[in-house]
Formats: sequence, structure tokens, C-alpha cells
Amino acid sequence: MNNGPLLFLGLFVTMACSWLSFVMGPQLQMGDMRPTTNIVVGASGQIYPHPEPGTAHQGAEVYRANGCAACHTQQVRPRDLGSDIDRGWGVRRSTAYDYLYDQPVMLGSQRVGPDLANVGKRMDTISILLHLYEPRTITTNSIMPPFPFLFEKRKIQGVPSADALRLPAPFTPTPGYEIVPRPAALSLAAYVASLHQDGYLFEAPPPLRAPGGTNTPASAPAPAAAPTNSPAK
Amino acid sequence: MSQNVTNNPANRDNDEPRAVDVTVPIWLVLVFGLLCYWGQLYLCNHAGGFDKQVYAPYQTVDEVASMNPKSDTDKFMIMGKDVFDKTCTACHQPNGLGKEGIAPPLVGSEWVLAPGPNRIAHVALYGLTGPISVKGKEWNLTMVPWKDTFDDEHIAAVLTYVRNTWGNKASPVKPEQVAAARKEGHSGPETSPELLKLPVQ
Amino acid sequence: MSVTASPAQTAPRPSPQSVRTDIEVSCRLPLLGLFGSGVLWLLLGLLFALIATLKFHNPRFLSSEAYWTYGRMHAAHTTALLYGFGVQTALGVGLWLLCRLGRAPLAAPGVVLVGIALWNTAVTIGLIAILCGDSTGFESFEMPAYVSAMLFVSYLLIALCGVLTFHRRAEGNLYPSQWFVLGSFFWFPWIFSTTSMLLLCLPVRGVMQSSVAWWYAHNFSSIFLGFAGLASIFYFIPKLMNRPLHSYYLAAMAFWTLALFGSWGGIPGGAPLPSWIISLGVVGTVLTTVPLLAVAANLFHTVRHDLNALDNHLTLRFTYVALVFWLLAGVQQIVGVLPDVSALTDYTWFTVAHWELFHYGFFAFAMFGAIYYIVPRLLDWVNPPMWSPGLVKCHFWLTFVGILISYLALLVGGVGQGFLLANPKYSFAQVMMSTLMALRAGTPGDLFIIIGTIFFLLNFALLLLRWGFRYWVENSGGLRKERL
Repeated sequence: MNNGPLLFLGLFVTMACSWLSFVMGPQLQMGDMRPTTNIVVGASGQIYPHPEPGTAHQGAEVYRANGCAACHTQQVRPRDLGSDIDRGWGVRRSTAYDYLYDQPVMLGSQRVGPDLANVGKRMDTISILLHLYEPRTITTNSIMPPFPFLFEKRKIQGVPSADALRLPAPFTPTPGYEIVPRPAALSLAAYVASLHQDGYLFEAPPPLRAPGGTNTPASAPAPAAAPTNSPAK
Repeated sequence: MSQNVTNNPANRDNDEPRAVDVTVPIWLVLVFGLLCYWGQLYLCNHAGGFDKQVYAPYQTVDEVASMNPKSDTDKFMIMGKDVFDKTCTACHQPNGLGKEGIAPPLVGSEWVLAPGPNRIAHVALYGLTGPISVKGKEWNLTMVPWKDTFDDEHIAAVLTYVRNTWGNKASPVKPEQVAAARKEGHSGPETSPELLKLPVQ
Repeated sequence: MSVTASPAQTAPRPSPQSVRTDIEVSCRLPLLGLFGSGVLWLLLGLLFALIATLKFHNPRFLSSEAYWTYGRMHAAHTTALLYGFGVQTALGVGLWLLCRLGRAPLAAPGVVLVGIALWNTAVTIGLIAILCGDSTGFESFEMPAYVSAMLFVSYLLIALCGVLTFHRRAEGNLYPSQWFVLGSFFWFPWIFSTTSMLLLCLPVRGVMQSSVAWWYAHNFSSIFLGFAGLASIFYFIPKLMNRPLHSYYLAAMAFWTLALFGSWGGIPGGAPLPSWIISLGVVGTVLTTVPLLAVAANLFHTVRHDLNALDNHLTLRFTYVALVFWLLAGVQQIVGVLPDVSALTDYTWFTVAHWELFHYGFFAFAMFGAIYYIVPRLLDWVNPPMWSPGLVKCHFWLTFVGILISYLALLVGGVGQGFLLANPKYSFAQVMMSTLMALRAGTPGDLFIIIGTIFFLLNFALLLLRWGFRYWVENSGGLRKERL
């Protein structure tokens, strides 16, 4: 193997294999993915997913800027590969459709904190804001760092602001002061509250049989052809 | 620890390394072959035919299709279960048996199993308050209305689910039947006497 | 003792010392720049990591300003380590190996210097951007779009000089280290440009971004950094033990199978991607057993007759430890990708443990071993020894123990976390509490690594000072020491 050009050719071919498998192949298959109509009950509306409202999209930018994905994942694994569904982190596994409108897609790779794929169903905006300001108001022993820089501590001018956080003791601010979320906090909370992966899809159907049962019922032989469109409800 | 490896007083480094022409041991070739064999078997079973619709743990598109509900009835039941799991289990419990001081049972309840669903449609839409007799036992609790939370289709689905689970067997509920109950209207929650006045249909 | 080098291909003969001197002189400034700035970035990255781990002791630590929040510290740490330290030392060692093995001086050292300056500028801008909130959101690829072009161009300036040096080689036969270096140099521009295009310039849709991002991170570490470290290991172990490499063909097999299979992988088992992508990753990673065994067999056969030699040379110590860590990390990666295991260990500290072992254990040790050997030769000062022996000992032992502490803490913590996470009876709060002890136990490990690295920098600074002093004495005193 003393020939330089041959060496480069070999490297090119091996690199191309990997590129084809993980970049080009998936891109050819899923590059033009559009919202699906293959919904199996439960989703509100005829297509999935729906684009987020504006504030939520800005919130994604705050999520990105502060590296929230360093501790939180946004992907639900199927029952066989983890306890995600049993923990109530989602009703079904995540699929490619769930991230169609995300830019960037922040799936995360560590669960220092819980998975957030469906956190919008578990927490509302107020509790999210409280959690951001001081996580221990919601989770007693939380190791999540507080984000006080997303909030403003200001003197109460006459009447307290409508937005001001209602903090429990011992986190209440000094008397005469209130904690008001900045726009970044509000949009981040809107984003986090918008996180949910609704409905069952063709690729992630609901459990037809009780968990643990793997036998098909007597009446179900393999269907004749692989359907690509089930009738949308 | 000395920094220099050579004891050569002229301080010449060793020559550049060379590689010897020893052939690859046969056991490594065998291991390679075995692993390639395993790899292609693995891909046969776990690559879903390279179909973009197949996600773990399913192995083929056919399997995914077989896991999908096959009829509209199936889908309706799943929708109803979805609603029930999210909303009704808090009080009526996941096993439908209810709980003392919280909610009456749905399993075997004569209200649920009535030939027509209009009475329970009213309950679901408008809520219930005051004393009511279920399976020979007196209950006096309050149920909130759901007419503003769910549409006719979802209420019909959850009623169908309740009427056909845990051993209950009754006719499915159609969205039109719920719509009719909604049209009849009612101010405030229902009460048992008012419900009994409604003819079953 | 000066013989002009003949450009014709020759069988390996002792190379003329003047050629060697030309190599060292041509490499002097560029490599000192690469190594010096590289280790400074390493220290900075380690400091960011320390701040991040301290937050597990007290979440309130440095939480009042956005710059120091955990997410940004984590991103800054990986960026400084991978791009500041990783790329520069890989390039430095790679260039030197191409020169030495090809018996040709470095081509266009001035261009390399420009490349180094540009690269460091780009990484500085990128790091400041991350601290200010401009990270891309993709792990191992956090520097924003506006530095991508600068990074790419500066890399090419350096790498192409290496390729040119290779082209001008006087020695026709290639030694395995050269394949690894060229592979390494070749891989980075491809993965970097592809990823920049598909994630930043013309973003692909949806979860495709994750596929590309995982592919990039895996290839960057396993292939780009992996090849650079292996090049160093394949060179120094035979050379310093004064024995030939056991098998040329085993090395070739290791090289090609690692290039082919090592580049398939990096995707967690439960990822929201069709199963074929994940399965390809599993198969590729399991097949890296072959290069693992090939490298292990090859090098163990090379060393097995003379294990005592390890004590004679500090570079050998570092290099041998690097090899063992590479093998261990490889085994962990293979075991961790099997579906039953990954269901337990994905998203836990297990994967972080592997990352640390690979980057701080294998890669940093391989690079330091090379640096300890190369720098005295660059400065033409091999005898008496330049490095202060006490500081070297401190560096080695502190970093070795530090990595062990850190790795074992995260490994045990990660596996425990995985088991608890898999059982829904345990609330997430309980899972999290169970990891705290492990995380806090790992902090002394990080501290040791930092102190060890500081000892290296002290040693390096002292060395440069002493060399500078000697150089000044020689030149101003009019005494010309005979060039060896």
C-alpha cells in the first residue's frame, strides 16, 4: 500500500460508504418528509405535526442558546427499549414526524434531567416559569441550576405586575420586590409548554393488546399488502 | 525516569520503524467472517427492510401494519380509551370500579349498560350532582361537565369504550347520539330524578 | 556528517542527519505553535469542565450570569477540547510523522503558521460565541456558522501542507502510521464541510439533522482523532522499543476495517429514526471488534519480548497507556451498542464515561507521548534531557489517576443510573439522586487532570525558557555548538 493516489481512493470509498449510510441514504428517504395524514386516532386535526406558534419558536432559540439539550432529551423510546412510556413521558415512541418543524433538532443525549418530549402535557407555563427561576420550588432536591438571569427583580411600583412569579417561601423576594419573567423566559416557557407528541401514527401505533401480550388475536392474519395510507379519521 | 532511550553517545535516534511481513492470523480472518455473517443476519432481522416506516422494535412494515387497528371500531375504541385514560381514570379508576367517596363504578352499572346511551351522554356532557343509585348502592357526589372540553366524537368514543370494556357489553355510541343529547341542552349538572325522566334512547 | 538526501526510493536505511535536521527546523515553529496552543486550549476546556462538575455539588454555583450556565460550560468544554486541543495536536503529530517517515521537510511552514493563526482565531471567536449564547445546538459541533468557513480554510492550509510533504517524500515505502495520518487528514474536511452544509447553511429537514450530527460526532472522534492517536502509537511503540512492527498486514487490516466500520455508528438505540439506520450503526460498531483485535495482536506481539522497556522511556509510558485506553474504550463502545445493553445505558453517564476515556485517556495520552518526544527534537536539544523529570512524573501520574477516578465514577454511576431508569417504580428524582455521589466522586479526577496539565505547561514553559536562554548564550557568545 505504497501508492498515494490508491490510498486516497481507498479512503474515499470507505468514507463514501459511511456517508451513504448515514447522510445520503436517510436524506434520500426522508429528506422531503411532509406532515403525515397517517394518523390513528387521538391527534387533534387531520395532519401531524402542526407548526409551533411564534413565541414557542423563539423559545426554541433560548433553549438552544442555554444548552438545555446538555441535560434533557426530547425523545421517547419504545416500550422494549426503555421505561419512557411506563414513566408517563409519552404515550408512544417518538418518530421522525415529531421533529419535522424543529430547527435545530435538539434531541439531546443525556438524561441528567427528565425527558421533555411531552412535558407540555405535564407542566403548564406558570410551573415552568417557577421551575426556571428556582427549580427547587417544583422539585425539592433538584440539581437543575436556576436561571435567574432570565428574570428581573424589580421594585413593586404600586400594584404587583400580572406576570410576577408567585414564589413559595423561602424563595420569595425581599418585601417590596417582585420577580418578573423577561421576554426570553416567557418565550422559553411557551416553547417548553408546547412540547408534546400527540396521537398515534402508523409508524407508532397504539398498543392493541395489553402490555406483555405478544400473540395476535385469532382473527388477525397478516394483511395482504402493506398499506401506506390508512383512512384518516 | 530517564528521558532518552538510547545509550548511544552520539545521541542518534533509532531508525524509523519498519513493519515485518507477517501474515494475518487465520483466527482473525475467521472472526471477521463470523462477524460479517452475524451482521447480515442482524440486518435481515432488525433493519426493517430499509423501510422508513419501520421503527424499532418492529421488524417489517407488515408487522407495523398488523399492529395498527384494522377497523373503524377498533380506532374508535382506542380513541375512547385515550380519553378515558387521560380524563376519567382520576375518579372512576383505570379498572372502572370507581372508589368510595370519589366516583361510582362503571363496571356492570345499569346506567352504562342501558340499551340507549342518551342518559350517560347527558351525564358526560353536563355532569351530575346529588344522590344517585348505582348497582343498588347510593352515591352522593359531584361530577364536572365535559361538554366544553370534548366534542361529540370524543364523548361518543369514551362512552363506547366504557360500554365495551371490563366485561361490559353494549351497543357502541354514535357521535350523532351525543349531538342529540347536546342539543337537548341542560343548565347546570344533571340530577338522578331528571335523568330518570329521560326516556332511554 | 552531512550527506545530501537522495530522492530515489530506497530500502529503509539510517537517514542522513542533515535531512533530519531540516525536518526538525522546518517543523519547529509550526509544531510549537500547534502543541503550545493546543495544550492551552486543553487547560481552558478542563477549567470549563470543572465549573460544570462543580455545579453538581451546588447548582447555585455561578448561576447568576448566563455565560456560566451548565449548558454553555458543557458546550465550551467540548469545543475547546475537540477543536482547540484535538485538531491542533492531531495535525501537529501528523505533520511531524509525515515528515519523519517520508524523510522530507515540512512543505511551506509559513502557510502552516498562517493556518494555525487563523484556526486559533476562529476557535476563539467560536468559543466566545458559545458563551454568549450563539451555539448551534448540536453536540460536538457547537461553533456557529460564521466561523465554519474560517475553520475549514485554516484546516486546509495546514492539512494540504501535510499532503504536499507526503507528495515530496523521499522514502517510497509507506509505514502504517502514514496511512493513519493521511486518513485522519482526509476525513475531517469531508465530515466538517458536509455537516456545515447540511446543518447550518442549507439545513436538512427534521430528524435528519440528528442523523448527520451523530454521524459527525462519531466520525470526528473515532476516525479523525482515533487515527491520529493510532498513528502515534504505531510509530512510537516499535521505534522506541527498537523492534519492528510485528505485522504489516495486520496493520493494513486494522486500518481498512477501522475506516470502513469505525465510521458507522454513534446513534443511540432508541433514537427516533427508522430502525435501519440504527441497525447499521450497531453492525458497524460490533464489527470494529476486528480492528480492535488486529491492533491489539499486532502491538502486543511487538512488545511482548521486552516489557521492561516501558520503564525506560516516558513517551512509551504515555503511548502504551493510550493503547490500553483505546482498547478499553473500544470494548466499552461495542458492548454499549448491543440493543439489550444500550436500552440500559443510553442517555446515562455511561456514554460520558466512554467519551472521557477516549478523549482524555486515549487521545490526550497518545498526543502527550508524542509531544514529549517531538519537542526536544524540534529544538535540537535531546541531551541533556530538556524536560524536568519531576514535573513529567507528576503530569503522568496525576492525569493517569485522574482519568481512572473520573472514568470509574462515571461508569459506575452511569450503569447504576441505567438500571434505576429502566425500572419505572423509581421516580426520576430517585434516579437523579443516585447519580449524585458518583458525579461528586468524579470531581477530584477532573482536578487531578487539570493539575497534571498545569505541570505539563510549566514544564513546557521552563523548557522554552531554558532553550531560549541557551540559544541566546550560543549566538551572542559566538560559540557554535556542533550540530548533531
